[in-house]
Parts: sequence; C-alpha cells; structure tokens
Amino acid sequence: MANVTLPKGVSAPKSGENTWLWLWKLASGPLIFILILIHFAVNHYLGSNGLLSYREVLSYYSNSIVPVMEGIFLVVVVSHSLLGLRSVILDLHPSRSLLRAIDWIFLLGGTAAVVYGIWLLNVIVASIPKG
Amino acid sequence: MNKVDNEPSRSKWIEWFNPQGRNLEGITFSLNRITGLGLTLYLFLHLIVLGTLARGANAYDNFIKLVHNPFFIFGEFLVVAAGLIHGFNGIRIVITSLGIGVPTEKRLLVVLMAIALIGTLIFAVRMFTA
Repeated sequence: MANVTLPKGVSAPKSGENTWLWLWKLASGPLIFILILIHFAVNHYLGSNGLLSYREVLSYYSNSIVPVMEGIFLVVVVSHSLLGLRSVILDLHPSRSLLRAIDWIFLLGGTAAVVYGIWLLNVIVASIPKG
Repeated sequence: MNKVDNEPSRSKWIEWFNPQGRNLEGITFSLNRITGLGLTLYLFLHLIVLGTLARGANAYDNFIKLVHNPFFIFGEFLVVAAGLIHGFNGIRIVITSLGIGVPTEKRLLVVLMAIALIGTLIFAVRMFTA
C-alpha cells in the first residue's frame, strides 16, 4: 500500500479498521449528538422533580415518535460506542486472534444490548394506559 | 510500521495519560478517548438500571428517589459534560475529516469546547437546583 500523508487534522481508518466501520462511526456521531441533546433535555428539563418519574416516562413515550427515536438512538449509540472502544483497543496493537475474539464479543454483546433495549421499549409502550 | 516516540503500546499504555509535550490537538484526542470510554461504561450501566422500568412504577420511582442525592447528581453531571465534550469534539473531527476548516482547526476547537462548557454549566444549574 502506498504511504499517503494526510493533511494535519484529517482522520482516516487505521490499520485493522474496516473503512465502512470507520465511516459508520464518523457518520453516526452527529446523529447521536442530536439525539443525545434531546435525551438530556427531556430527562433533565421535563421532569417535575429533576428526573422523569415512571408516569412521566409513560406520558413521554405515549407520543408514537418517541419509541422509534429512542430505538434508533439505542442502535446507533451502541454501535458507535463499541466501534470507538475497538479503535482504542487497536492502538494497543492486539494480535489478530485476540482482535477476532474481541470482535465477536462486541458483536454478541452489542446485539444483546440492542435486543434487550428493544424489549424494554416494548414493555414501556405496553404499559402506557389506553385512553 | 512507523512508530512515533509517544505512540502507546501494551507496555506503555500509561503514556496516554501523560500530558507532557502534548499540543492542543493531542490533549483533545486524549479527552475524546477518556470521555468516550466513560460514556461507553455509563451506557451499559444505564441500560441495566433502566430494567427497573420493567418492574413497574414502585421499582422505578424508588430508584429515582435513590439517585436523587448529590453523589449521583454529580455523576450524572459528569455524564452530561462528557457527552457534550465528546459530541462537540466529534463534530470537529467529522468537519475536518471532510477537509473543511483544517487550517482554522485550532480556533474551531476552542469555539466548540467553549460551547460545550456553556452547555455543561446550563445543565449543571438545572441538575443541582432541581
């Protein structure tokens, strides 16, 4: 591979980092940023006593856009955080076999986190009083 | 592979936290890493404790009462601060990765970190007075 000198400040995938994963990590960041600002504002400003109570959570989730938005937030933030953690690990130059094991742990762990989160969203939506 | 003097390795990982000889970009790189790791840890803890929502109103409201104390509020403040710092720094990385604003990167960094600080203070006022 030819050595390319990038302009200072321009990031690029590092050795061991797939270009598509790097691109997803970069692209998911701004989306997460918007969603996390909404998440922070809702959780710290809409609650009558600081954080939202159980009833206030159900009231918030009764808007059908909210579970969809939180579901998207969950998928994007879990993938972004694990890809970021993987980037940090890559800087320690792990062996190929160790990196493969870490990749499987992250894939399974991330999938489990998303499945659990979506289950929890369904439980919350199902708990919303009808009418 | 070319290795620079302060590139971390398995035996020198502690060098990540040594600020000596680092420039502003190096410090914000480390800050992005530290906030990212903190947020990742918080994310998985957050998902676990949100399981109290599935146990009904009493369980969840009792948990909210439990965390309504200065220790936990300070922890949440750190999460908000980390989120804003990591987010705004990430915006800078995305912008410069597209080749935009690279010559004025330092100024962009200072402006974005100032906005992050202001945002953190706004949330801090709400969190510590609610």
